[in-house]
Amino acid sequence: MGRAMAISGSATASTASLQPVISVRHLRMGYGGRVLLSDASFDVIRGEIVVILGGSGSGKSSLMKNIIGLYQPMAGDILIDGVSLVRANADERAVLQRKLGVMYQSGALFGSLNVLENVRFPLDRFTRLSLEEKNLSARMLLHTLEMAPAEALMPAELSGGMLKRAGIARAMALGSEILLLDEPSAGLDPITAANLDRTILSLRSNLGITFVIVTHELQSILAIGDRAVMLDPVSRAIIANDSPTVLRDHSTDARVHQFFNRQPDALRSDRGH
Amino acid sequence: MKPALTVTPSATDGVRIVIEGPITARTAAPIWQAAIATLAGNPGRSVVIDASRLGHVDNVGLAMLFDLVRRERSPEAKVELVALAPSLASLLRLYNPRDFVASVPTRKHVGVLEEIGEATARRLRYLRDLFEFLGSCAHAVRRAHRHGFVGLDDVLDIATETGANAVPIVLLMGFLMGVIIAFEVGLVARQFGAVIFVVNGVGIAMLRELGPLMTAIVLAGRTGAAFAAQIGTQKVNEELSALATFGLDPVEFLVLPRLMAGILVLPLLAALADVVGLFGGALVMTSFDVGFLQFYTHLLGAVTAADLALGIGKAAVFGLTIAAVGCHHGLETGPGATSVGLSTTSAVVTSIVLVVVIDGLFAVFTS
Repeated sequence: MGRAMAISGSATASTASLQPVISVRHLRMGYGGRVLLSDASFDVIRGEIVVILGGSGSGKSSLMKNIIGLYQPMAGDILIDGVSLVRANADERAVLQRKLGVMYQSGALFGSLNVLENVRFPLDRFTRLSLEEKNLSARMLLHTLEMAPAEALMPAELSGGMLKRAGIARAMALGSEILLLDEPSAGLDPITAANLDRTILSLRSNLGITFVIVTHELQSILAIGDRAVMLDPVSRAIIANDSPTVLRDHSTDARVHQFFNRQPDALRSDRGH
Repeated sequence: MKPALTVTPSATDGVRIVIEGPITARTAAPIWQAAIATLAGNPGRSVVIDASRLGHVDNVGLAMLFDLVRRERSPEAKVELVALAPSLASLLRLYNPRDFVASVPTRKHVGVLEEIGEATARRLRYLRDLFEFLGSCAHAVRRAHRHGFVGLDDVLDIATETGANAVPIVLLMGFLMGVIIAFEVGLVARQFGAVIFVVNGVGIAMLRELGPLMTAIVLAGRTGAAFAAQIGTQKVNEELSALATFGLDPVEFLVLPRLMAGILVLPLLAALADVVGLFGGALVMTSFDVGFLQFYTHLLGAVTAADLALGIGKAAVFGLTIAAVGCHHGLETGPGATSVGLSTTSAVVTSIVLVVVIDGLFAVFTS
């Protein structure tokens, strides 16, 4: 067997790989004059699966769009592989963005292309592979995500879960080492969601892909998350940044405890009124 | 380390391919092609692919490795992948060559003639569907008459929205139509000393044709499109299904008020276009030495109430057509946001074509 290879990255990697691939520094963000996060900082280490969670409206998806460079933060900085995305000009930003594979909430497949053509699209644009080679690469990705039977279908013919899986396949097509997934398992049946979790774990351990996943699917968070970054809409801050199981079992913060134990808000009468 | 591929003879009269460096989406192309060329150039010899110096491999690199080992070759010319990292080997084992044998389905390209034929057939089918739809609207009218479901308030709201918003643009279009006809025809008529007959031309053209027709075209673009988009969006959002589960018929609830609003609004707007068109014509005629009063008295002799009634009647039919086509396209919207756009576009195109066709029929049967 040959020497150890760089593809075996994982959360418990050597110090060399502890270099953060995404670094969020004192980020202040929001939209329409409304501030969703006022001073957020966290790192994503290579090979890690980081879940961003929080209740509806806490700014999870907006945070992701800031990391991708679609939204400009109000203040603070975001570094991809140590390079500032905020200060980059349009060309530099495009180079940084190509390091990231992104799956949007609804898949965001191109409606005029079928599933295979959607996954092949980035390969068509950015590689010099032959058509046969691109087709094989795209089909293997679809096979990995259990989408092979749907390769000739148009996006309008797919269910929500299929759109998401095809979206992940397209996000991976260029071999991005960092994948950002916006609610990948929301709306999926439990079996498909569990299969997707397994695929994510396998991609991380076998190809060393780093994942940033926006979700509030508790089971999925506990199954795959190395670290959970929890946003709070009231304090507009990150209120937790630790392993999901640690947060579930040992967090002293009432909001974190409530989230991980799926408890409803206290009723008005319970508050002594 | 840059990706590289070296080919050396192996000890067993075979070929040894050493692949080194990172193999990723951006770097794989030359290595992949060289490796395949090596396999093709040595059809009868065994091939050993040495992966011990392989760097980072992404999904495209993985596809390349899979492509090299999946090829069917004779037993003595096997391809063997050695010194592969266990993580990659376990990934490769997930893929079965048989799953990738079927050729990629190619998209069918439709020829020009075929497309024309298809489009014609679609149009004819559409006409049949539209008549069926109008039939179901007639049923809905009878049902609504019994239930009293069609609220006059709804009709007036829709009529106000579609009518009032269109007033400025109809005024402008009508005025310009009158001006342009009077000017163009006036220049020719002056050469023959028949300037006064321009009044006949402007009067008949505005009242019988251009007033209703131009208004209908403006409304097809505005209202027909809006109806298709509104109902189409409601269908995509499953609002129509929600209505159905309340036992409400979408045709009765959404379509009838719009049809009635269309029938009501277009004649009013056409009358407005007639008036400003005639005014525009009269304004231009003053430069041909025909005063307002002379224009008015000559106009009374040139056109009849029947001309006006024909124009207004046509406008009502156009209004019905535009609203019906808009609503029908809205109801026929497929799944997905893209379909709403398609419905809107085809609603505009279809209603303009139908308006012109109906105008032609009117011209034939009323001349």
